[in-house]
Amino acid sequence: MMRQTKRQISATILFFCCVLCSTAQTISEELQADVRRAAGMHYALPITEEMDDTPPPQGKKPFYINHYGCPSAYFLERAQDYDAPYLMLSRADSLGKLTTLGRDVLARVEQMRKEAHDRTNELTEEGKRQARETIRQIAKRLPEVFTDKCFIDTRSILENNSLLTMCEAYVELSRVHQPMKLYTNATKRHQAWMNPQDEVLENQRRDSLAMARYREFTARWAPDDSHLMKTLFNDADYAKTLDAATLNRQLFDLAGSTQYVEKGNYASLFSIFTPEDIRRHWMRRNAWAYIRYGGCTINGGYQSYTQRRPLWNLIHMSDSVMQLDYPVAHFRYTSESAVMSLVCLLELDDFGVQTDCLDSLEALGWADYRISPLGGSMIIVLYRSDKNDPDPLVRVLLNGHEARLPFPSDCVPYYHWKDVKRYYLRKLYTYIRERNEN
Amino acid sequence: MKRLFSLITYFTLFYPSPLTLDRAPFTASAQAVLDIIRQKPSYASCNYDIYPDSIPDNLTPAPSGKRPFYISHYGRHGSRYINRRSGYDIPYKMMVQANDVDELTAIGKRVFGVMNYILEDSEDRWGDLTSIGRKQECQIAKRMITRFPEVFADSATVSARSTVVARCIMSMQVSLGELVQHNPNLIVTMDASQSTQWYMNHQDPLLRKSKLTPEAQKAYDKYTASRLGNSRLMGLLFKNPDIIEELVDESYFNYYLMKMGLFQQNTHLNQDTFLTDLFTTEDLYRMWQIDNALWYLQYGFCPLNGGDYPYSQRHLLRQMIADADSCIRLNKPGAQLRFGHETVLLPLACLIGIRALKNKDGSPGRYGYDLRTTNLDDIEEKGWWSSSIFSMGSNIQFIFYRRNIKDKDILFKVLLNEEEVALPIYSDCAPYYHWRDFRRSCLRKLDKYEKKRNSGK
Repeated sequence: MMRQTKRQISATILFFCCVLCSTAQTISEELQADVRRAAGMHYALPITEEMDDTPPPQGKKPFYINHYGCPSAYFLERAQDYDAPYLMLSRADSLGKLTTLGRDVLARVEQMRKEAHDRTNELTEEGKRQARETIRQIAKRLPEVFTDKCFIDTRSILENNSLLTMCEAYVELSRVHQPMKLYTNATKRHQAWMNPQDEVLENQRRDSLAMARYREFTARWAPDDSHLMKTLFNDADYAKTLDAATLNRQLFDLAGSTQYVEKGNYASLFSIFTPEDIRRHWMRRNAWAYIRYGGCTINGGYQSYTQRRPLWNLIHMSDSVMQLDYPVAHFRYTSESAVMSLVCLLELDDFGVQTDCLDSLEALGWADYRISPLGGSMIIVLYRSDKNDPDPLVRVLLNGHEARLPFPSDCVPYYHWKDVKRYYLRKLYTYIRERNEN
Repeated sequence: MKRLFSLITYFTLFYPSPLTLDRAPFTASAQAVLDIIRQKPSYASCNYDIYPDSIPDNLTPAPSGKRPFYISHYGRHGSRYINRRSGYDIPYKMMVQANDVDELTAIGKRVFGVMNYILEDSEDRWGDLTSIGRKQECQIAKRMITRFPEVFADSATVSARSTVVARCIMSMQVSLGELVQHNPNLIVTMDASQSTQWYMNHQDPLLRKSKLTPEAQKAYDKYTASRLGNSRLMGLLFKNPDIIEELVDESYFNYYLMKMGLFQQNTHLNQDTFLTDLFTTEDLYRMWQIDNALWYLQYGFCPLNGGDYPYSQRHLLRQMIADADSCIRLNKPGAQLRFGHETVLLPLACLIGIRALKNKDGSPGRYGYDLRTTNLDDIEEKGWWSSSIFSMGSNIQFIFYRRNIKDKDILFKVLLNEEEVALPIYSDCAPYYHWRDFRRSCLRKLDKYEKKRNSGK
C-alpha cells in the first residue's frame, strides 16, 4: 500500500509538471496533426520517418535485440463490425431516410465491408508493408547485429494477424543478410511468456468500482450523437428509432480502420465527426485501455503485472545471451494489449503512471496510440564492448523512439544493465511477495 | 484426424473380432510395400509418414530449347505434432486402467512410461509444426530454387498462399525465407486468408456425406477383418492378456499404439524407436493396408462411395489452371506456392490422375491414382499407395516450360514429391505434356462432373 501511495503522489507531481512545464506536443495537438491517432490502439504506426539515434558510448556495440511487436494493421476483428452499420444505413436508404452525406457514408461503408469480407482480423496490405518496413528500419539502425554469426529467433502467438506479421518480418529478415541463421515457432506452449493471462488480475480488471467509474466517465464524455444523426438522416423521427450511440461508435471504429487499406480508395470517415467528438471517442477508449492494461488504481493498479513473465523472461534471456560470443535477435509478435501492459510494467516514458483520475490521463500524456499502436514495438537493445565487458548497456526503443526508463543513468538513453536488472527484478519480486501475502 | 474419427466410428459400430494375419504368401506388390516399410517404418503410418531427406536427382532434360519459366505448387505442411490429444488418449487410457490393476509386464511398464513422456512432450503443441517440419520445408524450397533457377532469377515474383492454419502459415514462412536467402532480390507476397479457403482447403459437404456409405463400410469391414488385432503384442505387454480384454480392446490398442509410436518420427523424439520396435514389419504392413484402404474409400475414386470424392478439389484445380493461364502471358511469372493439407493434396492427385512413370518392373505405369475399383484387394496390387502421395511436407509441382514468351506450345511436367510422374493423357514427350492438352482434358472432366452434379444425378 505504501508503494501505491508513493506512486500516486508521483503521478500527481507528474500531472502538474505535464500541465505547467510541457513543451512537447500535447495529445490535442497530436490528434489535430493526424486524426488517425484517434483510433488509439488501432492507429497504424507510420514507419517512414528517419529516426534519431543517440550514438552509444565509446566502444559499445549492440549484440542483443529483444523485440516485442504488436500485429501490423489488420481489418477489424468481426464481420459484425462492418455488417451492423452497413445494414442500419442500408435499411434507412431503402426507406429514403438518408441525407446526401448519409448516402455517401453508406457507399464508403459498403466498400469497406466488401474489402473486409472474409478478411476480418487479417492483415491488410498496408499492414504487410508496415511489418516489412519495420524490419528494414531495425536492420538499418542496428547493422552490427545482423551478421553471419547472428542467430535470429522469431515467435508469435497463434493469432492470424500476429502470425502473418511474423511471416512478413521473417522473410524480410532473410533479405537483410545471407546466410542468416533463422528460427521460428508459434505454439500454445509459449503462451506463458508470449501472451500470459492471469485469472486473479482479470477478475479485478472489471470490478464493480472500475466499471462504475468508467460508466460515469463515458457518460460525461459522450459524443454528440444527435449531431451525427442529423447529418446522416433526413427524418428526425426515424433517427430517434435507431440506436444512435451504437451507430456513432461503430462508424468511429470504421473510421479508424480506413487507414489500413490502400490510400485513396475512399475518403476517411473521420470527416463526419466534429473534432470535439473525435476527442471524446478517443478519451473513452483511452480510459478503457488504461483501466484494463495500465496502472489504473481504481481496480488495484496492478493490471500491467499480467506481463510479469515476459519481463522476467526478458531479463533472464538477456543474462543468457551475454554468455554468447555472437549476436542474437529475438522477435516476438504478440497482441497489442500485451505490449501495452509490458510497456506500462516497464514504466517506459512514464507510461507506468498510476492514478484513479481518468480525466487526468490526457494531461499525464498517457495515450494508447503512443504506447501500442498497430505495427508498434518495444525493443530492448543491449550493448557491450566485448563478451567480457562488465558493464553492458541497455537502450529501449518504443515505437522507434528512444524511451526513458524510470531511473537515472549517466548516459541516457543508455542505461546500465545492472541497474535495469536490479530495478525490474526488485519490482517483480516485491509484487510477488505482496501478492503471496494477500 | 477425420480419418481416425471415422475409424473410431467404424469400430464402435461393428466391433470386428480381432483375427490373426492371413499367412498366405505375399504378392509382388505386398512384397514391394513390405520392403519399403522394412526400410522406412513410418511409411506404414500413411499420412503421418515423414518426407524423405533426399530426392533422387534424375529429372528428364526438357525438349530442346524449352526452359522452365513458371512453377505452380500445392504442398502439405511439414511434419507436425498430432492434432489432438484424443489420438493418444485411446491407448493411453487403456494402459492407465491396466496399470491400476497391476496387469502390466515389465515391458508394459516401460511402454507406459514412454507413453507418459510422449503425452507430456505433446501437451500444448497439438498440431504445431515441428523442427523436422521446418527443415523439410526449407529443403524443398532449396531444391526448388536450385533445380529451377531460371524461375527464381533476378527480381522474380513469388506469390504464396496458405490456409489459415498455423502450421501451414509457418510452412509458407520458412519456405519463403529459404528462397529469399538464396535470392534476396525476389519479390515475395504472401497471404493466409479466409477469403481463399474456398479453393485452398475446400471440404465439399455434399461429397463428404458419402465418404463412408453402408456399402463401403461393409466392404471395408470385410477387408479389415483379417488384418486387425495383435495377440503377440497383448502377451508382451499384459500379464493376463486373455482377461485384460475387459479393459483393453486389442484392435483399438494395437492400432493406436502403433500410430503413437510411428508419429514420433515427426518430432524431436524420433531417435527413440522403442514403441515402433514392438511391432514386426508384418504388423506395420497390416496397419498400412487398413489405413490405405480407408483413404481410398474416403478420398479416392471408389465407386462404393459414389466415386466422386476427388472432385472436392475441383475449385483448386480450376484455380491452378486459371492462374497458369494468366501467368503464362507474363514475361517472368515466377512461382505460385500454396500451403495446405493432405486431405486436399490426395484427392487433387487422384483428380489429376497422377501415376508412376514406370512400374517396379520398369514397364510404363499402368494404373494411376484415378483408379476406380470396388475390390479393395485391388488397390494395393494396382499401386494406389496413399503413403507415396501425402506424407508430411508432400507436394505437387507443375513446372512450365517454353522457348520464349511468344512460344505458344507451352510444355509442363508434374512433380509429385519432387519426382516426375505421368498423367492420363497422351504426350509425345512424356514426362513433359502439352499444357493445352492437360488443360482441355481437365476442364472437360470438371465440366462433365459439374453438369452431372447440377442435374442432381
